[in-house]
Amino acid sequence: MRMSGSSKKVITFVLVVCVVAVMSIAAGCGGEEGEAKGPIKIGGTLPLTGPYAETGKWIEKGYRYWAEEINAKGGLLGRQVELIIYDDESNTDKGVSLLEKAITVDEVDLLLGGYPGTTAAAQMPVAEKYRMVYVSMGGHMPSFEQGYQYSFGGPPLMGQWWYEGFFQWLSTLPEEERPKKAAAITVNNVIGKACLEDIHKWVEELGIDLVVDEFYDLPLASADALVAKAKAAEADLFFANGLFDDGVLTVRSAMAQGYNPKAFVQGIGSIVPAWVEQLGEYGNYIFSGTAISNKLPYEGIEELNEVCRERYNVTAAPDYFLYGYCWLQTLQRGVEGAGTLDQDSIRDYLKSNTIKTIGGEFKFDEKGLPEPYSFCTQIQNGKVELVWPAEVRTADPVYPKPPWGS
Amino acid sequence: MPTSFEIFQALASGLLLGGVYAILGVGFGLCWGVMKVINLSHSTFALLAVYIAYWMNVSLKIDPLVSLFVSTPLFFVCGIVIYRLLIGPLAKRAEELVAASMVLTFGLAILMENAMQWAWKPDPRVLNVSYTGKAFFISRVSIPYTAVIGFAIALVTTSCIYLFLKKTYLGMAVRAVWQNKEGAALCGVNIDRVSSITFGISLATAAAAGVCLSLIFSFNPSSHLGWLIYIFLVVIFGGVGSIPGVLLAGLLIGLITNISAVFIPNAWVNMILFGILATVLLLRPTGLLGQREAR
Repeated sequence: MRMSGSSKKVITFVLVVCVVAVMSIAAGCGGEEGEAKGPIKIGGTLPLTGPYAETGKWIEKGYRYWAEEINAKGGLLGRQVELIIYDDESNTDKGVSLLEKAITVDEVDLLLGGYPGTTAAAQMPVAEKYRMVYVSMGGHMPSFEQGYQYSFGGPPLMGQWWYEGFFQWLSTLPEEERPKKAAAITVNNVIGKACLEDIHKWVEELGIDLVVDEFYDLPLASADALVAKAKAAEADLFFANGLFDDGVLTVRSAMAQGYNPKAFVQGIGSIVPAWVEQLGEYGNYIFSGTAISNKLPYEGIEELNEVCRERYNVTAAPDYFLYGYCWLQTLQRGVEGAGTLDQDSIRDYLKSNTIKTIGGEFKFDEKGLPEPYSFCTQIQNGKVELVWPAEVRTADPVYPKPPWGS
Repeated sequence: MPTSFEIFQALASGLLLGGVYAILGVGFGLCWGVMKVINLSHSTFALLAVYIAYWMNVSLKIDPLVSLFVSTPLFFVCGIVIYRLLIGPLAKRAEELVAASMVLTFGLAILMENAMQWAWKPDPRVLNVSYTGKAFFISRVSIPYTAVIGFAIALVTTSCIYLFLKKTYLGMAVRAVWQNKEGAALCGVNIDRVSSITFGISLATAAAAGVCLSLIFSFNPSSHLGWLIYIFLVVIFGGVGSIPGVLLAGLLIGLITNISAVFIPNAWVNMILFGILATVLLLRPTGLLGQREAR
């Protein structure tokens, strides 16, 4: 039987349509199948060499343990995760360019938070440009006040909240027991100024007279004159609002001068493990703050302590291991809650739901920040204890501070 | 208005700290004056002495002052070896020794910093001894034992260097090289030998400075960079190669920083310090007690 010309054309057309349709379906199915089998790539940078390497490596360990744990549980959204971590050599510029590389060349699905605050603050606009969710410590309050929509501090390392726990506890004391005069010596940089904002806010609220309020530049050669000012002004609340080296000098100067305020509060320097390890008994009764701790009674913390004891021969999980783990846990909650890798959906989920992490429960606001908080710590018998809020307390605060060496 | 307690406390603290500045600068100034070598690794060697003191204290329970008897002779020998292997050959070849020595010793400093980072990790360290944070009091003014010990070591070291230069034959040879290298060579002074011994002495003073620093400051493998600023400051202020000048500059810088902090906000102290330094150099470019080089 011979077909007419028009029949041939119809059949040819139908065949072409069928072939195209089958190919499209096959291609579509293949794509979905590949996606389902391929790992979710999570990328970013950390300072694995250079001055911030020691801390950066602990964050990396936290990240990698989180990935190992989630992969063992079947993955994220049913897919294995793969971390791509570039070494930014403790250099902010490299941190920015390598994050761009992770996004544009490696085409990562999700981002890792960077460290320290300067790098995180510089990476936040990059994440914003590519409209990708970025969970990190941030770079104190100004970095969260730029109108970014995709950045989250889960938890943040926020100077402006550093003494929240301490002052909240202080406000619970009867008024006659509270200090009357405060002295603050502050490192002249963005960290010191951020923490000082918290001091200014609270001393005004509690009616404490700030009798010494001085900045100093690094390196601090001697804290003697500053401590002498506080002693001469009879300040019974002292803030050594700085970092490690200057903090050690200040403590030693206060000891030598026999300056014994009712409360001695140290700034950021005291969250470095060396503060306790190296100062030992000399650092006793010093208050400080933190945004995360291995003594928190939250789910998952004790398991992480055990992992760190077994793998890294430490007594408990270091803070930055917990930060790294917690940032990825926050991201995980967003992804699982949204049920997709779509960045807008993850962002919207994180902004509209309370999420539970090893660092506590976070309800993020428009800036991507949880409610202002910090845990108040005090060194007792050479160990860091949590003294406020009451629900996480591991020891009662020692107040007023006993004289040095007693 | 500052109280008399604040003023006298600042005087005592400034004077004691000034001694430590002086001992940091004395060997560096000697090296610069005699050999025309700016040793940017000087403070790194001081830091190495700090780590040796720390290691001996933590591992062997030995007081850091005892480490002085280990690190000082060790660094003297190191100085001679480094001179023979690096500085000497460079001095013979380089057209501009000052600049070339800065590049070479900066490289050495970075190498040492990385080695210390590998050996002791980048973590900050603190050396605690039984007398840390303890002091005796004159009226209300506290005099910390660590600062007194540091000051005493500084005073003894600078005095020894001064007497060595003034009273010994070798010291006179060092001064001769410093004043006129060609003239000294013509008179039979072995420039190479004098230079290597000078470099050895210079590093031995860095070891002594390191022990003083270990008693007062916390440290990490990058701490040497901050100390280098003070080294330059005391040497330029006091006069390159002048031992009494460096001692005087150290004491003055200690006093200026501490006393000005009593009367003005601490954040302005560096402005005052560098303002005074600029004024002194404008009026006396060779520094307080420095002398013009013979040509």
